[in-house]
Amino acid sequence: MTLETASPYLDRVASGVVDTSRSQADDQLAELSLTEEEKLVLARVADILRKIQFGTVVLVVQDGKVVQVEMAEKFRLR
Amino acid sequence: MGETMQALSSKPPAPAEPKLAVRELVMTRRTASGETVTATDRLTFDVATGEFVCLLGPSGSGKTLLLNVLAGLEAPTSGEALLDGRPISGPGPDRVVLFQEPSLFPWLSVRGNIELALELVGFAASERRAAADRWLARVHLAGWGDAQPHELSAGMRQRVALARALAADPDVLLCDEPFGALDALARELLQRELQGVWLGSEGTKTLLFVTHNVREAALLADRVLVMSAAPGRLLEEFRIHAPRPRSLDDVLVARVVSEIHDLLMREVDASVAREMAR
Repeated sequence: MTLETASPYLDRVASGVVDTSRSQADDQLAELSLTEEEKLVLARVADILRKIQFGTVVLVVQDGKVVQVEMAEKFRLR
Repeated sequence: MGETMQALSSKPPAPAEPKLAVRELVMTRRTASGETVTATDRLTFDVATGEFVCLLGPSGSGKTLLLNVLAGLEAPTSGEALLDGRPISGPGPDRVVLFQEPSLFPWLSVRGNIELALELVGFAASERRAAADRWLARVHLAGWGDAQPHELSAGMRQRVALARALAADPDVLLCDEPFGALDALARELLQRELQGVWLGSEGTKTLLFVTHNVREAALLADRVLVMSAAPGRLLEEFRIHAPRPRSLDDVLVARVVSEIHDLLMREVDASVAREMAR
């Protein structure tokens, strides 16, 4: 298959070097033990990231809390 | 956490029927030497009810022509311009234009200019004077009602024009670089006033604002449409979700300003190169 040659990562998955049941990201998240508030912020950011292709996302923090999420999305029209 | 991230929930209303729609709009104009030049080339965009859209582009991109078509002052060469889904056939009291040069009637007093607008939209004669004075106060010209337009400075005249435009309470306000000729302080004051009225209308007033000032566009708009140099086409669109009033120091605003600025510089360079190659 061309897939295996296309990505060294997939090669490692195929040969069992990488455990895909638990990713590095999962480990990092578990270590952080996020609060509800933090989860809400991250969910909101993820929601935006899924919607936009190009643009800017800004978190405004006051006194240690995210008080605003701002974004500017850019579309190329030609 | 309750008020957190309100910026993103204040999305423009669902695009049911756009307030203004421009479809494949082409405008040509004749030069002094008799040549026909394309000013805008197949422009297509919508403006939703209650939306604040800024149209930005180098000079000669046909911004003013486009606004004239929407105001009903000129007919498109081809394509169409729609208001509430119907083709625009002429000017109407539902669309007020704010020009760069305040077009006040020089023979009427400042108050008389505003009273005339109120009369045209059917205000009772007995209420006009008080209403005119209220609008004058809002643009910080209380006490100037009896003055003639020529007695005022350029900035003050533009404030009268803004008051007159707002007094007519139009659904659609078309602005053609209205604050372009003003000093920075006067511009900021009028931007604030315009924004205040727009916010106060709670999604009923639709604004299309032509400017060549990138910062003005990023401060005011829900959406910035960037046009190319002649012939005017749409290059890019920026949707800005950030609460108002915005400041130029806001990270998002600063970033949008620099991105649009770079885009326009590239466009101007490219258009110069196109001209040289001809």
